[in-house]
Amino acid sequence: MKMLLEHIAKALVDYPDQVSVSQVDGERMIVLELRVASEDMGKVIGKQGRIAKAIRTVVSAAAVKENKRVVVEIVQ
Amino acid sequence: MSGYEATGKTVDEAIEKALSKLGIKREDANIEILDEPSLGLLGLIGNREARVRVLPIVKATQFLKDYLADMLVLMDISCTVWVGEDGEKIEAEIHGADVGALIGRHGRTLGDLQYLLNIVVRRQFPGLNKMVVVDVENYRARREQTLTQLAKSVAKKVSLGGHEQALEPMTPQERRIIHLALQDYPDVTTYSLGQEPYRKVVVTPR
Repeated sequence: MKMLLEHIAKALVDYPDQVSVSQVDGERMIVLELRVASEDMGKVIGKQGRIAKAIRTVVSAAAVKENKRVVVEIVQ
Repeated sequence: MSGYEATGKTVDEAIEKALSKLGIKREDANIEILDEPSLGLLGLIGNREARVRVLPIVKATQFLKDYLADMLVLMDISCTVWVGEDGEKIEAEIHGADVGALIGRHGRTLGDLQYLLNIVVRRQFPGLNKMVVVDVENYRARREQTLTQLAKSVAKKVSLGGHEQALEPMTPQERRIIHLALQDYPDVTTYSLGQEPYRKVVVTPR
């Protein structure tokens, strides 16, 4: 899950080496925290959060198999 | 993207050197001339060789194919990916047994995946003027058929019953299919109502 989010985020930003993801696994939930360079925040969020929403949808689709809910948080 | 720098007595010679080092043809390369050669004074002092940088062109289709295939492996979805290109769009088709999760309810996941891939490809190839269109197990074609049938049956009901009827919320592409399906119907007209993403088509008697 972590690697998938990294794969997506790195292709969107100007500073791929500053992309990092931490994953916390709960019983029924996975929390992914995405960190990017501050200049790149807009690139992973998009107008009205549209890119962020698309990222969440795709990552959630990957979690369907594991029967878990995924929360993607974009943090400063 | 890594490139290769080479020098030579002439610009052409430098380019040839770099191309053969990279093992690519001239049409598959972006060439940047860093220094023009100069003979300097009497060919003795200030003598300078030509210096060029050659970057291989990664074709957008190849990039998309690799990128999407990697993504699907990370999603643990076993499937095959076919990517093709025509004058106006790059098409990606995904086939496999457990690809249902990629479509999602009413194709919402597919829509978001396509949106994301468009952004990614455009970031990597800023000059690209082609849309990326993604389909999973011919979902789009099947959906179009379903929507056209739905439109026709609703139009029939409306023209007989006389009451206008709203359909469920749809994406702009899906609403377009409904509008097109009913544009030649004499008894009904269609319009869209509401705000995205809940905008829907209303079929009303003429």
